[in-house]
Order: sequence, then C-alpha cells, then structure tokens
Amino acid sequence: MSRKNRFVFEPIPEAALSRSISPEAYQALDGALFDPRLVDLGDAEKVIRPSTTYWHEVWQRFRRDPLAILGLAVIAVMSVACIFVPMFSPYTYSGMDLAHMNAFPTWQHLCGTDQMGRDLFVRIMYGARISISIGLIAAAINFVIGVLYGGISGYVGGKTDMVLMRIVDILISLPSMLYTVLIMLVLGSSEFSVIVALCFTSWIGTARVVRSEVMYLKHAEYVLAARLSGAKLWDILVTHLIPNAMGPIIVSTAFLIPNAIFTEAFLSFLGIGIQAPMASWGTLANDARSTLLTYPYQMIFPVMAICVTMFSFNFIGDGLRDALDPRLKK
Amino acid sequence: MAKYILKRLFAGLLTIVVLITIAFFLMHAMPGNPFSQGEQKKLTAEALEKLKAKYGLDKPVWEQYLIYWEGLLRFDFGNSFKKPDTTANEIIFEHFPTSAKVGGIAVLVSLLVGVPLGIAAALNRGRGMDWFCMVFATVGISAPVFVISVLLMYLFCGVFPVLPNFGLNDWKSYILPVSCLAFNPIAYIARQIRSSMLEAMEQDYVRTARAKGVSEFWVVTKHAMKNAIMPVITYLGPLVAGLLTGSFIVERLFSISGIGRYFVQSISDRDYTMIMGITIFFGVFVVICNLVVDVLMAVIDPRVKLSEK
Amino acid sequence: MGRLLEVKNLTTNFHIGVGCVQAVRSVSFYLDQGESLGVVGESGSGKSVTMLSVMGLLPGYAEIKADAIRFDGKDMLNISPSEFRKIRGGDIGMIFQDPMTSLNPLYTVENQLTEPLRIHRGMSKAEARLAALNLLKRVEIPDPEQRLKQYPHEFSGGMRQRVMIAMAVACQPKLVIADEPTTALDVTIQAQVLDLLDQLKKTTSTSTIMITHDLGVIASMCKRILVMYGGLVVEQGTAREIFYQPKHPYTWGLLHSIPRINQQKGEKLIPINGTPPDMLRPPKGCPFAPRCRYAMPVCQKYLAPETVLSGTHAVCCHLMHEKAPKVERQV
Repeated sequence: MSRKNRFVFEPIPEAALSRSISPEAYQALDGALFDPRLVDLGDAEKVIRPSTTYWHEVWQRFRRDPLAILGLAVIAVMSVACIFVPMFSPYTYSGMDLAHMNAFPTWQHLCGTDQMGRDLFVRIMYGARISISIGLIAAAINFVIGVLYGGISGYVGGKTDMVLMRIVDILISLPSMLYTVLIMLVLGSSEFSVIVALCFTSWIGTARVVRSEVMYLKHAEYVLAARLSGAKLWDILVTHLIPNAMGPIIVSTAFLIPNAIFTEAFLSFLGIGIQAPMASWGTLANDARSTLLTYPYQMIFPVMAICVTMFSFNFIGDGLRDALDPRLKK
Repeated sequence: MAKYILKRLFAGLLTIVVLITIAFFLMHAMPGNPFSQGEQKKLTAEALEKLKAKYGLDKPVWEQYLIYWEGLLRFDFGNSFKKPDTTANEIIFEHFPTSAKVGGIAVLVSLLVGVPLGIAAALNRGRGMDWFCMVFATVGISAPVFVISVLLMYLFCGVFPVLPNFGLNDWKSYILPVSCLAFNPIAYIARQIRSSMLEAMEQDYVRTARAKGVSEFWVVTKHAMKNAIMPVITYLGPLVAGLLTGSFIVERLFSISGIGRYFVQSISDRDYTMIMGITIFFGVFVVICNLVVDVLMAVIDPRVKLSEK
Repeated sequence: MGRLLEVKNLTTNFHIGVGCVQAVRSVSFYLDQGESLGVVGESGSGKSVTMLSVMGLLPGYAEIKADAIRFDGKDMLNISPSEFRKIRGGDIGMIFQDPMTSLNPLYTVENQLTEPLRIHRGMSKAEARLAALNLLKRVEIPDPEQRLKQYPHEFSGGMRQRVMIAMAVACQPKLVIADEPTTALDVTIQAQVLDLLDQLKKTTSTSTIMITHDLGVIASMCKRILVMYGGLVVEQGTAREIFYQPKHPYTWGLLHSIPRINQQKGEKLIPINGTPPDMLRPPKGCPFAPRCRYAMPVCQKYLAPETVLSGTHAVCCHLMHEKAPKVERQV
C-alpha cells in the first residue's frame, strides 16, 4: 500500500532495482558464490568526462536555451538588416514622397509611410542603427566605469570603500530618470548627450556586482601570490580579479543594453531625446502619437521594434545568467 | 528602533540636499536663458537685464544658490517662468492629486493582483497556473511601459472602442492608465513572490511547523508568506519610482493633466523654476516612500534592525 | 499488539527529474512503549528519510510505500490528513538537526512555542503562555520571561535547540523523534543537550527514536539500535548485542573507527574506505559490498536476506550463509 499522493508516479524500471532472493533459492546457492577470492572487482575506474574549458561549457549551456538563441538570432538579423537595408532601399530616411503620405503597408512600403510620406521601414532601420549602437556604446562605457569603480572599491576596502559606496547609495536613492532628464536638458538633444545621460547612473549595478565579487575573490591565494611578487593594484585587478569575476559582470552588462535602448526611446518619446528629422524609434513613436487611432501602424511598428529588441536582449541576458551559474536556475 | 529611523531620516535628508545642489547647478549650466523662449524673444538687451535683475539672475551663482535655499525653507519654490503670476507650489499641488490618484490605484492593483498570482503559481508549481503566470511575468517584465500603453490603447480604444483615451472623466477612464502603469509591477511582483514562496516552502522552519501539526493553510499563510513577502516590500521603493517615470509616458499618451505630464511640459518650455520645483518634489516624495518602506521592513522583520552595517 | 510504532517493509523513492532516488529500500522496525531506539548510519543511509516518511513530512515527489505503518494502533498509511495533523505534534514530536534554520525568524519564541499547545491542547493564549514558561524552565533556559518575547536570532545555537526540544515535548507526546539533534552544535553544547534529552526521557518515560551518526551518543542513550546503510537496515539489536556481538562488517567498521580513550599511542584509527553509494543508481547486490573487506561474489548479485540471531538481534549479511567462510571480527 502507498500513501495517497496527488502525483502519479512512474514505476521504477526493473533494471534499477536491487535483487532479492527467495529463502529456498538462497539455501541452494552455489558454494562458488561464497568464495571471496572470486570477487569480480570490475571496472573500478569511472568514466572520465572529456575535460572542457569553462567558457566552452558556458557556451554549451547557453546553446541549450531556446529563448536565448532566439534572442541572439533576432539581434543578429536586425543588426545585419539595419546595416544593409538602408543601403539597398530606394528610399532615404528623409526622402519625402508627398503623393503617398500616410500610406498603409504595401509591398512598396513595407511599413507604410508617415505623415510626410517618408518610408517607415527605412526609418525604422535607421532607428535600429541608432538604438542598437547607443545601447552597445552605453553598455560598454557603463561596463568600464562600473568595473573600475567596483573593482577599486572592493579591492581597496576600508574607508575608500565606505565613501565610494555612500556616494553610490545617495545617487541611487532617486529615480535615475530624474538625472537623465536633467542632463538631457543641460546638454541639449543629440546622440552624445543621450549616451552621457545613460551613463550617469547605469554603471552602479555593475559596480556593485563587481565589488562583491572582488571582495570575495581578493582572499584567494593567487592574489596573495601576486601581491607578494610586487604586482600593483592595477595589474592585480586587471589580470586576476576581473577575469575571474567575469561571469556576473557579463550578465549585469548584458541587461544594461535593453535598459539603454528603453531609456533612449523613452527620452525621444517625450521629446527630449533624439530630435526630428533623425529617426530613432522613440521619435518615430512620438511623431505617430496623434495618429494612433487613424493610422495605427505608424506607432505600432516602431513600438514593436523596441519591444522585440528589448525582449531579445533580455532573453540573451537570461540565457547568459543561466549558462554562467546553473545553480541560480529554479 | 528610533535610532534606526533617525539614521534613515538623516540619509534621506542628505540625499535631498545633494539632489537640490545637483539640480540647481545643472540648471545654471544650461545654455540660453529662460527669457529667450517663446514670445519673449523680442526683448532688448536692456529689458533682458532688467528681467534678470528682477529674478535675481544677475547675482553670482553661489548667492543665487543660497537664496534658493532660503526660499525652499519657506516652502517657496519660486514663481513659474511661464506663468509668472503662479508659484510653482500652486501648480504642483494643483496637479499632484491627479497623478496621486492614478498612481495610488496602480500600487494597490499591483499588489492585489501580483501577490495572489505569484502565490497561486508557487502553490501549483509545474502545472497550468504556474506556466501561465511565468509566461505572463516574463512578457510583462520585458515589455517597456510605452509598448504596453500603446498596445492597450490601440486595442481598447481603436479595435474594440470600449474605453476612453482622453482625460479622467469617469471611472472607466481610469482603467487604461492604471493598467498600463501596473502591468510591469504586477509581472515583477508575481515572479518575485513565486520564487520567494517556493524558497520559503522549502525552508526548515516550514517543516518544523508541519511537524508540530499546523494545518497546511496556516503553514502557507502564517509561516511561509510572511517570509516570502519581504522582497516585495523592498520592491515597493523602486515601484514608486517606476510609477513616477511611468507617469511621464502614460499621462502624455492619455492626456491626463497630472504632474508627470506637467514636468515634461516644463522641460519643453525651459521653465526652470518649475523643473527645479517638480524635481525636488519628486525627490522628496521618493525619499519619504523609501523611508516608509524601510520602517515597514523593520516592523515585519526583527532581524533588520540588528543587521546594520 | 502493544507496540507503539510498527513499520513493515517501508520503501521511499524520490522521483526527481533525472531519475528515481531510492532513499529507503524495505526497512522494517518496531518500537515499544517507553523504549529508546537509536538509528545509526552515514549521511545518505536513509535514516532521516525513514522517520520523515513515517511522519509524512516529505515533499510531494516522494513515493512512500509500506506493508504497514502503525502508530498506537492507528494505520498511518490510510489516515486522513486532518487525523495525521493531530498526531504530528500532539502524539509524535520531532526535533530537527539544524536549530539555526528550524525556527521561523519572524515570530517570537512564545508564538512558536505556544503554537502546538493551542492547536492540540486547545489552550487559550494565557494558558499556553504559562505552559510555555514552564517548558522553558524544564529545558533549562535562564530568564524564561524575557526569552519568550525574543526572536530566534537572539538565541545561541544550543539555546535554540533547547527551544526545539521544548516545542517537541510541549504536548507530552508518546513518541519523540530526534534527528541528529546535536550534529550542528559545538561539542560542549552537545553534551548539555544530550543530558537534557536523557533527563526528559527518564522523567516522562516517553518513547524516543534518536537518529545520529555518532555511536558514542547511541551507546549512552539507546536501548536498541538500528544500523542502516544504503537505504537498508543491515543490523539491529540491543545496545549490548551491537557493541559486544556485532555481526555485520559495516558495524565492525563503525566500531573500529571510533577513537577510544585507552588507545595506544601510535595506534591508527581504521576508517572505512570508500564512499557511500549513489542512491540514484544503487548497486545490484548488498550496498556495502564495494567497501567490504569480506565481500563475496554473492554480495554483488543479491541483497542479503535477514538472519535472525536472537529475539532482538538480526543481521542482513551473506556471511551468515552456511556456505560462507567463517569470519572472526578483528578486535
């Protein structure tokens, strides 16, 4: 009898069960079975798995995550498209075709045209260039700042660490949007100022991750060895600590990209980011605000582009996180 | 406990001072001046000087900073440049209640929908409810607020014209803005509670409770849930901040005359006092919310007070 | 039959994604009123899972099968969940291994200590509080008035374990199961807690089951002993029988590996070489065979049936077979 359970269990395969024996058969067993000298030692050596490097294993795990691969594929396609489509398209991002304003999507204009007859598909591709490049540049800069700040804070420790972390605490206790908006005001609206605004507080997450990793790793023996052989702070950080902390750093940086894309689109949508006639996805959405109910495609296509890109980067980030530290998987 | 609150209060005040200082100096680093916008472009140099003197803009920056502080301590944010006969205070307090209503309802909805969703997912792990929840949560977390807003607006005002997309006239017009604001938080809260519930249910103290003969209902509600809800309370701080920034978009899209929309407007107008005033207001608001959250956490979890750095 | 607890042929399997972990494979034992039973074995031998199966405290993916589990005459396999809940805490109390995590950090000790009293004995808050105070006094926690209002993190490890003990005996259960109660504690505290358990046992004549991997603890506290390995009971008997006339090579190994006070200087400890078996893919025959000095071909093919040596002593070893060589235990 077994206790009632709401799960239904599969029976254990016969091959997995250990063998017991009936009393009669037991008595009748052959004497040779009881000779200790005849024990079959068998293949005591376990099968040794082929050794792989850490990064190879990470890649293997990443490959098995369908969403992450999908994200990677989408980004790859989009990157290629945004480079080549404007080159081969008969339309430019500012070329106006006044005869075909507000046209619905057709084979000629894959996403329709906007209020001034500009082809939306090409504009979206240009927008992709801007958004993706801003995302990558901002993430790269935040990566550098975050790693250095967190690395120094974690490694040096003591008062320096306390002061640096206090500064971070104060900065982060307010919504980053506030800073972003204020900085945009001061620097005017251009791609450069958007990147600066994006870099004002986004590095903090990475810095914290790096700091905790470094604080944990700096007690390792190879660090002590490096210090004893006279290596300087910079060398220790760059050669030893940071490469070993790469896992969580990569994950936190990976999530910076969709965040940057979102913030840029957000700013442009509010009118304080990239300005017309430049076409970032946010500006396209902003331009189409008034016509949402009449020509919905003008807003929906750019918005979907933002959405798909952010999803893809988020999936990649999730995949990286699961691949780098499988323990975190539920 | 009192010491804990005081510490937090002090940190908050420090933050606000830093914010005001940063904002102030940023404003003064701006190119142009507030009078070169709009109709006032046609001023002569002389008139410009007079205006500047009137608003105290010809004094050295440090003095202006101190004067501003003086005003702040009297709760006077100064007059709006765009509408010089109204003070920033009036405008803020006129528009804030609208945003507060929408935002407040959004917070309630986030909690009332997100928490049960996450708990249902955790208790039904691996089955239909859980799966549905997790898909929803993943989508909800990644989709930025204006994607959601645009899609919802298109669906419910365009395709199925059942809800208004303009203003806040009747109860129906609250549905869309609140949903747009709450979408993200619901997803986040559900996912968070699900994972902390799952973790709490595996803990030893849950096993001890069962060994004592506590009924399953109380094991879940009394023992597991209180532990699981901690990360959600921590999230309340960023939640408020998120609703704040979300309101910029939602109010703009749905033409709600709340303070978020006004902020964006002031930026276009280069109305510096307004920008400063609203920024400081936001800052103070967020700091107060964080303080409330910290106190709440200390009340629920007795370990918090002791684990100060 | 008069036995307080009777378990026949208990098997517990955990169905996890990669396969099925056979944590407990056909374990049978009994416990009389007022008796103390010790269960000794390595980590992974199935001793904790056995007791958790009896108590019904395993997660949903655990499949529990048995010919019979009877407690105080009741059939525990077919009992309703609400009946079961009454028994847990009310008639059977359990003490867990790690006092740091076994108490809920968000509730006061008073709250957690009075919980079983309010549930099983229907006491009011005030009555329960009084009872809780007395319990704390019994487990020798100083200043109990103050302590009741405190939270678990304000207690030391040894104190927390005393609170756990108090919780387990709160409703004066017929049976107390202690799952490695001292493993997570400092050695000096261990002795105190064990003394406390011993004292409680003597003053209330509760039946106890003590699970441990420490033979020293068992020797002083338990009348009968179960030796478990690889999900099976390899030997069981009274303490005298196990310590003075052990018959299973694993028991010999355990006894040899204890340091003795009268050991000669330079005399080595004899550990048991090898590692415990992987219960996801348990070996086909006797689980101890890979590590056993006396292993024979039959040990790799079949599980050993039980050989009854006396009214209380039984062992599962192929060495008991008439065709097996006679082996003398090495001193």
